[in-house]
Parts: sequence; structure tokens; C-alpha cells
Amino acid sequence: MGSDVKNARKETVFDRGLADLPADLRWREWLCRIEAVLFASASPVPRDNLARVVGPGASLDLLIEDLAVELEGRPYEVAQVGTGWMLRTKPAYAPAIRAAADVGGKALNLSEHDLAVLAAIAFHQPISRDGLKDIFGKEISRDLIGRLAVRELIGTGPREPRRGAPYTFVTTDVFLATFGMASLRDLPDPEQLDDSGLAAL
Amino acid sequence: MPGPKPLPGWIARAAAEPIDAAAFRSGAALAHLALVAAADVPLPLWRDRLALAAAETCVAMAGRREGQGALRDALHLTRAGGDPGPAGRILRQWSRAVARPISVAGLDRLLDGIAPEQIGLCLDTAGPTPVDRAAAVIETVLADTPRAETAALILADAVLARGWGQGHAVPLLSLALKPRDLGLRGDDLRLACHRAVAAGAAQAVSLASDLARAATRLRAVTPKLRAGGAGRAVDLFLSREALTPGAFDFMSDRAARRLCDRLVDLGAVRELTGRETFRLYGL
Repeated sequence: MGSDVKNARKETVFDRGLADLPADLRWREWLCRIEAVLFASASPVPRDNLARVVGPGASLDLLIEDLAVELEGRPYEVAQVGTGWMLRTKPAYAPAIRAAADVGGKALNLSEHDLAVLAAIAFHQPISRDGLKDIFGKEISRDLIGRLAVRELIGTGPREPRRGAPYTFVTTDVFLATFGMASLRDLPDPEQLDDSGLAAL
Repeated sequence: MPGPKPLPGWIARAAAEPIDAAAFRSGAALAHLALVAAADVPLPLWRDRLALAAAETCVAMAGRREGQGALRDALHLTRAGGDPGPAGRILRQWSRAVARPISVAGLDRLLDGIAPEQIGLCLDTAGPTPVDRAAAVIETVLADTPRAETAALILADAVLARGWGQGHAVPLLSLALKPRDLGLRGDDLRLACHRAVAAGAAQAVSLASDLARAATRLRAVTPKLRAGGAGRAVDLFLSREALTPGAFDFMSDRAARRLCDRLVDLGAVRELTGRETFRLYGL
């Protein structure tokens, strides 16, 4: 799979438009390409990257819609995450996947405290380690930040305008994908958290 | 110099009114605004500052609380190519949207999640007045992507701006529409848009006269500046609403800081943050 993609790239001319195919076969091939690219990628694929494998005039949205229809009976679906798309298994199959391999929990491999810090970053981004220290009442180690960064759940944001100009942290599209959100708006409403006394988190 | 005249009170404000009365006011507001924009106003700077206000509205619509100061910081303290965070991204979208002439390709680069075909359709939207077309754009975009308020408003203000003869998007609707207005449909939304255009134009005109005066002051002191590159720095101040001294990459950091301090002393430029460090300057 991965090597196929590589070979396709090596060819000097990658035929995006497929002008020599009849219209229906061309559409079919574009659908297959999009599915292949999404299948091969563990993280959401941005629109621009997908647009590169289909004809310049082709509507990516229509292609994605057709792909979604095609996958209707399958245990996985095409999901919009942030500004891109990915293939993911349908929630109904989570128990089966867990029973087979416990994939989800192990893949992330983060402690409860790590996840609490991640949640604080998600809600308060952009936030620096000092900001996190104020929330948790203790130093947040560089190791912990490193664990989140290595999993591409967070990235660096703007610097804070004070001594030392510390970097802040922001969540990434991988974060959204991991927690099944299309955008940060899917985070629980801060006002609800206020009401239930969880605002400090 | 007399400068732009404020929007007459009867255009800027009215109590509850039927849609034809609101449309009459929005038309009058746009006609006045077109005259103001044709006068001696630093247009790129004006649009950039309006973009900041528009971004503040959009950030609030996304359920966030960042004010204009925090938005500026996020944008200016992020290294090139970095992620300015959720609120900073909205300001970056807006300031890029108003900096370049309106085009499908340009907007496509800015508006994630909106297909280029849809951007093209939005720009070609038909309707009796520019405001009606802008309202139709908001309705169409939000019907497809309910959370794309920023994209909907950027496209709507671009369509509106073309309608009153501008080549660049000018935030107007985004200054005055309320989050609940975006939930409206049909005539209710059109009425809200007509009213918002009149209210937004009043803000935009008053900002234009402030900036026209400030630009006159800045141009008046320019001959007193002896630093090499001062002319280019002045040009930048007339096109960007806030700058770090680091933005003057054609002069040394030290010279850039000295120039900014000197311009503040001369009363031609303001320091915008009130901080001792990480300062931002603008008209």
C-alpha cells in the first residue's frame, strides 16, 4: 500500500486529470484514489492534499459525498476532522475493536494526569507551562508536554508577551481526530463547565 | 483638512422598521461610505483595523472570549508559519482577506472547509441589492457548514464590498451582526443585514476619519525622520493596523525600536499594548 503510493509519486508525470478515461471511469478512479489516500494516512488529510490526486476541475466535496455513500454498509466511514478528512471505524464497532486488541487505549498510552493537562490546554489554548502551573497548582513537566507533542496532540502557538517569552501550546487536528471532534466547538460548553463547578479544569 | 464627514444620524440609527426602510438606510450608508473611501483615507490600514473588529465578532461567535488585544498578540507573537491558536487564526484569516483583492483563488487559500466551487458561486450570487446578495451568501454558507460563521461573514462582506465598488473585502456586516442574527433566514436575515450595514458603516466612517487625521499627522512628521528606511516604515504604518519593530526587516532591530519611540514622541504613532516589552505600534 505505502510503497504503491511512493511509486506513483516517483513517476515523473502523475496523471491527475485522467483525460483519456470516459467520465464515469474517471470519477471511479478519483474515488478510489481518495479512499486510498485516506486509508494510507493515520491523520486527517487536508483538502489541498486530496485535491492533488483528482482533476483540477473536480469537486472534492461531491467526491467525498459519493465516497460516504459508498461506505454506507461498511464498518468505517469518511469523517471531516478540522479542515481535512479521514477514514475511521464507526463507534458501534468500538467494543469489537477493544475486545480484539485494546487498540484505542494503548495507542494513546497517556496517564490520567496527562489527559487532564491536555484537556486544560484544549480549553485554555493558547496557554504556556506557567499558565498550566496556575491551573494545576504545580509545575507541569517538560516531559509531559513532550509526550503530548510527540503524539502530535499539541503544537506550539504564539509566545506570551512577558519575560522569557514562553511558548504557548495549542491543540492540533490530530487532537480533534483522536477525540472524535470536528472542531474545538465540540468541546463541552465552558458555561456548562462553570455551572457544574468544573471551570478550574 | 476637513476629512470624511460622519454618517448622518438618520442613516446610522433607527428603531424597529420595515425592511424597505432598512434597505433605504443601508443604501444611503453605502453611498456615503463609497464617498469616504474615495477621499484621502489610508484604505489598507482602514481595512486592516476593521478586520480586527470583525475578527473580534467572529471569535465571540465561535464561543471564545479573546478581545482585540489578545487577538493582536496571538497574531504578532507567532513566528512565521506557526499556529496562532484558534482565536489568532480567525484574525489571520480576516487580515489576509482584506489585504488582497477579492478572488476565488485568494479566498480559497484562506477559507478552510469551503470548496472553491462554492466560493465562486458565492461571489456570483444574484440579488436585487448588494446587501440582499450578502444575506444570501450567509444563508447558503451556513446551511452547508453551520459553524463556518467566519467564512460566511468574510464571503458576505466580500460580496457586499464588490457591490459598492470595492476591489477588496471591507468588513461591515461583521462589525454589527449579532450571533443570533446568523440563525435567521430569509427576510428576517435580510432585515438584520440591512440594519447591520447601516450600523457597521457608521463605525467604519468614524474610523476612517480618525485614521485620515492620524495619517495626515504621520505624513507631516515624515520629513523630520532621518533614519534610513523611515519612508518604508511609514508606508507600513499606513497599511497595517499594528506592527512590531521586528516587522521593519529592512533596518536593524535597534534602529526600528528607536524609530518607533521617536514616532510615539512626535505623536504620530501610538504604542498599542501599554506594555514595556513586546510592544506593538500603530496609528
